[in-house]
Amino acid sequence: MAENRPTILLIEDEAEIRRFVRVALTAENYRVVESSDGRRGAIDAGTHKPDLAIVDLGLPDIDGIDVIRRLREWSPMPIIVLSARVQERAKIEALDSGADDYVTKPFGIGELLARVRAALRHVVRTRSGTTVLKLGAAIVDLEVRHASRDGVDIRMTPLEFRLLAVLAKHAGMVVTHRQLLTQVWGPTHATDTHYLRIYMKQLRDKFEADPIRPRHFVTETGVGYRLLVDE
Amino acid sequence: MFDTRRFLTGNLRHACVPLRMARRWRWHGYAWAVAAAASCTLIGVAMQPRFDVVNIAMVYLLAVVVIALRFARGPAVTASVLCVAAFDFMFVPPRGRLSVDDVQYLLTFAIMLAIALIISRLVESDRRQASEQAALEVAAETERIRSALLASVSHDLRTPLAVMAGASSSLAETGERLTSVERSALATSIFDQAREMSEHVAKILQMTRLEIGAISADRDWTALSEIVGSVLRRLAERMARHRIIVDVPEDLPLVRVDATLIEQALGNLLENCARHTPAETVVRVRAQRQQSEIVVTVEDYAGGLSDAELERVFAKFSRGTVEGGGTDIGLGLAICRAIVRLHGGRAWAERVSGGGSAFKFTLPLELPPDIPPEPVD
Repeated sequence: MAENRPTILLIEDEAEIRRFVRVALTAENYRVVESSDGRRGAIDAGTHKPDLAIVDLGLPDIDGIDVIRRLREWSPMPIIVLSARVQERAKIEALDSGADDYVTKPFGIGELLARVRAALRHVVRTRSGTTVLKLGAAIVDLEVRHASRDGVDIRMTPLEFRLLAVLAKHAGMVVTHRQLLTQVWGPTHATDTHYLRIYMKQLRDKFEADPIRPRHFVTETGVGYRLLVDE
Repeated sequence: MFDTRRFLTGNLRHACVPLRMARRWRWHGYAWAVAAAASCTLIGVAMQPRFDVVNIAMVYLLAVVVIALRFARGPAVTASVLCVAAFDFMFVPPRGRLSVDDVQYLLTFAIMLAIALIISRLVESDRRQASEQAALEVAAETERIRSALLASVSHDLRTPLAVMAGASSSLAETGERLTSVERSALATSIFDQAREMSEHVAKILQMTRLEIGAISADRDWTALSEIVGSVLRRLAERMARHRIIVDVPEDLPLVRVDATLIEQALGNLLENCARHTPAETVVRVRAQRQQSEIVVTVEDYAGGLSDAELERVFAKFSRGTVEGGGTDIGLGLAICRAIVRLHGGRAWAERVSGGGSAFKFTLPLELPPDIPPEPVD
């Protein structure tokens, strides 16, 4: 019988961490494939064709970032990285190299499960081809480039719209400053973070009930932003 | 009169400076020796019409004493030799020559040299004692900090470890006989304690890294409103029992800071207020522009600090009274201050009139680059 449980590849060298992550994921009805190093993990990814990969950044043999690059050569599956607090730069590099999200060690399992669920939901949403987002009381239709709240149009500049569209493409997951800047303003503006700050404020002013405590346009300090949409 | 003590304590700092500076200081001494001999000669010339030669010798003697007190033996000897030579050349007959008619003057020279040597020797031994004393004080202070660290580490890490060991062994050994409510209570307390301990360890590491200069500010343009937003999101659970008021003006300029570090600094201030004030009280977060800087304030309206505490709270391992449960390792405000200083700002605490404390820090303001305006669709 073909299994329709989602398969998760866990590449992590610490056996103790693998153990509790496996127990929790299995309890949530995921199938778990474990690899204790990067090379093994890259091979396991090819044989098991997982729906999602969890990659530790501190692997003993090859760099976690290399693993992500190898996976990204052929697979669009969501990748979540596990990083230690001191690996701030490596974390951003991993995200820029194609990882979709991160969890910082030490983490509670609830946090990891939430990330896994969001990433898999994102895959479903992308496959279904839906272009309509719900942000609180506001509705955005990306295809017809239209946003409204209670029937009243929310007017956006072309750049505001493009920024929203890039965030929406990765809804629920982290998009780095660099990714947003290159995809919205172009590669020559990859480090013009002040553009992002100003435009993010404009988007929040238009969509958030309390722009200081955003519920949708969430700041990932030092890393980037995350768009949380209502289901 | 010269206050020898003050001279010595003044020199204490120089006794401890690195070699390169000490060497520069020494050359400084020689320069002063030359300058002293030259000025005495000028004074001597001015005095000459009305004063006896012996009094002029006294002026030179005074200069030698001062140089010997203020500097090391080298400059003192130099000063005495230069003074003797200048005195001999200018004022002792036959003038304009380095020879002496009256043998009595040789005694004057010898006394001057002897005074220079005796004084510089006295000063040196006193100085050495003072620097030894200072070294002892530094060692004692280091020892005090180290034992405070050990005491704090052992308490703050042992307590959660004891809870974790006890609770987890109960789960492992008697788990089957426990109700599911009891099991989950034990597991939750292990999780909470582990998280608390992990934060303590992170703070100790962070403080150490800040102190040894292993952390540099990775600056970029940042909106303070975003930092406030993400701190409140991160601390939502811990601040849930307090009423938080945010006051950040719409038009506050961007700041160029390391957002992760400043988030931490602000978070530490908020956690500190949450920890030391009762539930249901107000905590206000405010950011204002004041001239060429931005002032960030976290204010509470309960209790308040004494004059001594206002400064002491920023010291490492300073603990106040903690409301409710939880421990405080006493590093939050010290880390906050270190981070703010790294950015060229200041961090301090004030009393709020009517009861309460305001914790403030400044960030320097730079002009952000312009952004081309864009019309709406």
